[in-house]
Amino acid sequence: MVRTLGWLTVAGLLAGLVMAFGVAPREVTQGNVQRIMYVHVPLILASYLAFGVLALASIVYLIRRDAVADRVAHASGEVGVMFVGLGIATGSIWGKPTWGTWWTWDARLTSVAILFVMYLGYLLLRGTIDDPERAARYCAVLGIVAALDIPLVHFSVYWWRTLHQPPSLMKPGGFTGSSAILWPLLVNLLAFVLLYAYFVARRIRLLCAEAEAAA
Amino acid sequence: MIADNWTFVAAAYGLTAIVLLGYWRRLAKKERELEALSRRNAERRRAEPSSRPPLDESPLQQHPRP
Repeated sequence: MVRTLGWLTVAGLLAGLVMAFGVAPREVTQGNVQRIMYVHVPLILASYLAFGVLALASIVYLIRRDAVADRVAHASGEVGVMFVGLGIATGSIWGKPTWGTWWTWDARLTSVAILFVMYLGYLLLRGTIDDPERAARYCAVLGIVAALDIPLVHFSVYWWRTLHQPPSLMKPGGFTGSSAILWPLLVNLLAFVLLYAYFVARRIRLLCAEAEAAA
Repeated sequence: MIADNWTFVAAAYGLTAIVLLGYWRRLAKKERELEALSRRNAERRRAEPSSRPPLDESPLQQHPRP
């Protein structure tokens, strides 16, 4: 099952690359540098998914004390941190030629940096507590609290004046750009969601094996 | 209209590919390590009953507590 998911992910990522470089048109004002969007936006949206799953699994853990829920949260957090870190890095690389700066402390960038640091702290907290039950409990609480930053990140471009453009997808009224841009974006989004599912499935399997080996 | 800046595009996609491949390799390495560990543990468990000394030769029998 995980192997099939892996091959589906590879196919999705290859299709995403073909769409981003072969099908999507050259953007009129930004030129080809806008093609960074096809990796930047899916990474950030997949990280929202990862942290959403983490928060849900944390709630389930606090209610049922189910070790599987804790493993889902742990795996999802690890993949989410990697995705959001890459999202910040690719955004910064995109920002230099278009905004003229790698980084600015505007509302979107600051809130997403806080999100990254909070979930990095989540992973560090797991590593610093020896008792697995206590680590799971503390991390579940942190995972739920940190999820409150996700809407702040997403809507920061509406609530404050920012350099960052409004969302391309997931905005009131839906996508307003050309379908030649929308389809490559959706294919890449699907590919990164598959990649997220694949990494999480493998990480959960690994966490189960680690728990068995430790027992 | 600004220049195409292909270097930035290559940097963004290249960095993403390196990090994702690195994570994938890390997972694969950990899986291999755990498999080796569980194989060793299974072998040890299989070897343990035959290597255990008979009851009358056990250290507890040889050196009974006062």
